[in-house]
Amino acid sequence: MTDIPPSATDQAKPRAGWFFNPYTQISLSIILAAAAQLCLKKGADKAVPELWLGIEGLRSGWVWLGICAMVTGLFSWLYSLRFVPLNIAFTLAGLEQVLVPLGSWLLLGEHIGPTRACGILLVCAGVFTVARPLMHVEEKL
Amino acid sequence: MVLISETCSVAGQIFFKHAMGGKGARGVNIAWGVAVKALGFFLWVGLMSKVDLSYLFPFDGLNRVLLMFGASIFLKEKMTLNLWVGVALICAGVMLVSRS
Repeated sequence: MTDIPPSATDQAKPRAGWFFNPYTQISLSIILAAAAQLCLKKGADKAVPELWLGIEGLRSGWVWLGICAMVTGLFSWLYSLRFVPLNIAFTLAGLEQVLVPLGSWLLLGEHIGPTRACGILLVCAGVFTVARPLMHVEEKL
Repeated sequence: MVLISETCSVAGQIFFKHAMGGKGARGVNIAWGVAVKALGFFLWVGLMSKVDLSYLFPFDGLNRVLLMFGASIFLKEKMTLNLWVGVALICAGVMLVSRS
């Protein structure tokens, strides 16, 4: 890591205590983001599948729970970005690609065949590969 | 459908970025960002009601591919070897998933 982005070398110090540790927060944000997807799926299952837009999913409490998890996760993410270098953050965020299928298998009881499992692994590998170059793109946007 | 949803999500991201950076009218950028993101979100939930989550979620990796291509076209960002390898891996994975 020769090129640490200026945002990561922020002079601010994280607050004391394990809860405010940037890595606790970044893990929390990733787990919340994955949990949000699982909640949304649970809510979406109750929606009428005829429509393109899942607006009527808003009637389900699961969808709202998912939205709350998303928003809370976003705050943890933004907080930890002040302290964690972007390339590490993006690599860790790639773990979502593992957590979500794992959760849908364990918690939602979805069947994941060998073809799908291989596809998921390839996507993960790709996501990890682009994490570092993606950092440069993010900075320039 | 998946592509439209992901494109909305990426576009929203870029509008937010612009709003933060203070380029152009901030209010307008935020409004567009929220609108486009919301559309992407509802499309996503609509898709979820039709297919398995483990089928749909790998397509989220395309988000990064789109961001990359967007950056190379509009920001004249160079495509490095690493990027190509990653993009190829994601696309191959998504193709496998879509066959399952």
